[in-house]
Amino acid sequence: MFRYYLRLALNSLRRTPGLTALMVCAIALGIAACIVTLTVYHAMSGNPIWWKNNVLYAVTMDSWDPGPPYDPERPTLPPPQLTYKDATYLVQSDIPRRKIIMTQLLGMLNGAPGQSVPLRVMTRATTQDFFAMFDVPFEYGGGWRGSDLDALPEIVLTKQVNDELFGGADSVGRSILWNGNRFRVVGVLRNWQPLPRFYDVVDNPFAPPEAMDQVYVPFRWVTALQALPVSNMTCHGSGSVDNYQEFLASECIWIEMWAELPSAASRERFHAFMDAYWAAQRKAGRFPRPLDNRLTNVGQWLKVNGVVTSDSRILLRVAFAFLAVCLINTVGILLTKFIRGAPIIGLRRALGASRRHIFMQHLVEVAMVSIAGGLLGLALGAVGLAGVRAIHGQDNTYAMLAHFDPLGVAWALALAAASTLAAGLYPAWSVGRVPPAGYLKSR
Amino acid sequence: MMMKLNIRPILSALSRNRTGAVLIALEIAIALAVMVNAAWIVAQRIQQIEAPSGLDVGDTFAIGVARLSSHTDLGAAQSEDLAYLRSLPGVVAATATSSVPVSPYGQGTSLSPDPGPQAPMTPTRYMEADEATLGTLGVRVVAGRNFSATDVHPLSKRFFQSYPEVIITQSLAGKLFPGGNALGKPIYSGDDTPMTVIGITSNFIPSVRDSPAYDALLLPQTPGDFGLYYCLVRTRPGMTARLLQTAERHLAISNLDRVVFVGHTLTYYRQTLDAGNRDMAIFLTTVTALILAVTCLGIFGLTSFNVSTRTKQIGTLRAVGARQRDVVAHFLVENAIVLISGGLVGCVLALGVGHWLTDQYQLPRLDPHFLAIGLIALAVIGQLAAWQPARRAAAVPPSVATRTV
Repeated sequence: MFRYYLRLALNSLRRTPGLTALMVCAIALGIAACIVTLTVYHAMSGNPIWWKNNVLYAVTMDSWDPGPPYDPERPTLPPPQLTYKDATYLVQSDIPRRKIIMTQLLGMLNGAPGQSVPLRVMTRATTQDFFAMFDVPFEYGGGWRGSDLDALPEIVLTKQVNDELFGGADSVGRSILWNGNRFRVVGVLRNWQPLPRFYDVVDNPFAPPEAMDQVYVPFRWVTALQALPVSNMTCHGSGSVDNYQEFLASECIWIEMWAELPSAASRERFHAFMDAYWAAQRKAGRFPRPLDNRLTNVGQWLKVNGVVTSDSRILLRVAFAFLAVCLINTVGILLTKFIRGAPIIGLRRALGASRRHIFMQHLVEVAMVSIAGGLLGLALGAVGLAGVRAIHGQDNTYAMLAHFDPLGVAWALALAAASTLAAGLYPAWSVGRVPPAGYLKSR
Repeated sequence: MMMKLNIRPILSALSRNRTGAVLIALEIAIALAVMVNAAWIVAQRIQQIEAPSGLDVGDTFAIGVARLSSHTDLGAAQSEDLAYLRSLPGVVAATATSSVPVSPYGQGTSLSPDPGPQAPMTPTRYMEADEATLGTLGVRVVAGRNFSATDVHPLSKRFFQSYPEVIITQSLAGKLFPGGNALGKPIYSGDDTPMTVIGITSNFIPSVRDSPAYDALLLPQTPGDFGLYYCLVRTRPGMTARLLQTAERHLAISNLDRVVFVGHTLTYYRQTLDAGNRDMAIFLTTVTALILAVTCLGIFGLTSFNVSTRTKQIGTLRAVGARQRDVVAHFLVENAIVLISGGLVGCVLALGVGHWLTDQYQLPRLDPHFLAIGLIALAVIGQLAAWQPARRAAAVPPSVATRTV
């Protein structure tokens, strides 16, 4: 019976090639627009460490001044970073399973074998748990050991830096000059570029290549070298800052902190620990704003920091509106086309086909249109994404995000099938209601 | 016999294929809502792309330099770098600043005409500048004066200082002192230390945080207090890219106590700024055009269907005296009714979407002119789509009425 329906549907579609092409093209265009916008949106709104979503927490305290809030456009949010004082205190807590503080510095690597020109490297200064906490994969070696107070001058290179300086060889144990100081290579990472860069959304979660981390050093080298961050730093208050010690003691926020808190109990304990610290500091005259200590999980962190641009949201909605128009169009065409075939349906009904048979027959026709439209839409979507990449250079955020991902494809295909079938249900059903007698009489 | 254009038979004809007409009207409504709002967004993006930078973007490049440790003598490095850059043949002017106009590299603060932390603040970008900065950027002083060499604080280890004399852009002056003259007035950044406005410059785009603006504050300070500075270099036309390459290569190795961390032309930053707007404009225009095309095909299809199912009736009409143009008029009026009802729903939908966009994304409120123009455009295109099938209907000969049973 199904093969008979297939043959009927094929015949019917062949009878009106123009209409068939129109329907298939309309669906394909709608699907393609959705694929392009969904892919970019999906990549932007993705959570690159979803498996640890409810374990990793961004740690923030509202240390801002009593006047205007940190971000006047989002006055309910505390500042996204901590002061040196608060970060270095909180990171000493034993409650989290792992915890890190970090900032971004500029660095220069020198003294690799055969290296003639110094290499500028964006440097992440952090504490030892960084790699285990974010599941960073190593090609050779591993992270450094020791708490931040006694961390040795040890450095972790990304694969790209290791390729450039050591030709991709295992460089663990080799020595290199970082900002004029001798460091020992303890690890080389595999390719690891989570997008969006969830742990550093304050600057640019889709950082241009020149802002991507290239080497990692223990946090204490920030103060040892009296270095200043190149990542976001915001200060308030009018107190003058005359030297580095005063800078460290100031209310400038420039350090991000993350804690791994696997259980609700540990979260509560850490929260209580923060609150106690807040109360003690408030007594000493700090924290003029109301208590607002927060632990924010990864998904929430990406959301409150507005990682997904409003442009990509608008585009996604426009694409869906377009798909809706295409589908309404298809419903209209199917309806008129089916009603045109009513005399034949009348005949088939008179010969004993039930309404269910008629419905099924037309649904098969709808399904064929939907599959053809979906496949063509997939191809068009791939072309569209290639177009997006072609318009932009390689280093463009949009181009980086506009990659055909299998999940996006699955989504789009499901969308095509579901929406077109839903669109075809009504015409297929309404044609089954045709009373056979009337059509038999008229011819 | 004159046939009057009677609306009754048209309405009853419409009700024969109600679902088809309703679907097309719905399509028209969505198309109108998307088209009008997309056009509104595109108009703003084009405005942003066309907004002048207010400075000589085409002939300027910027190189960022940072110290590697507190041992670096950044002031000496800066003088050395600037002396080298100024010595390059083809360089017109060079200066050091703390931020790069049009780029994301820079600093921001908030200002108020009143002292104290509770005063209402105007956010602005700022840059540390010297007497050569405005000249290098190609920015004019429109009131007051430029910094003189003696105004400029030398580089020190202090991070924050107070500046008795500052320069601001016209745009910022207008925001701080609406309707008044800012020159000579004190401004404050959340404390009680006044900064006197000694000069007002023509508008230019300073460093960009979220979206570009013309608000900028210039502080008389040799940059470097945050451990880095940017060399801004203006060249003779057409030499920018080559000189940037030469300069970057030299500076990267001329002093190993500091590092060159970024080097781009201002054109690069301007293009990066425009790229997002351009993408949005291209995508929205494409999708809107496609929606219009699909809607027109829908209208064309519906009218064609109506014509082909009513061949006999058209023949009868013609046989009893309807002229060709009466038949065309019949189908066009029928289409117009669908268009108008779809258009009315579309107006409500468009305003609703516009309101929602304003609410969610802080877009300016939809200009009603866009709605009016969109409605007219859609009506014209919609009637054109129905024109060919209506002509076909008019070509039905009266004899058809007598042919079939």
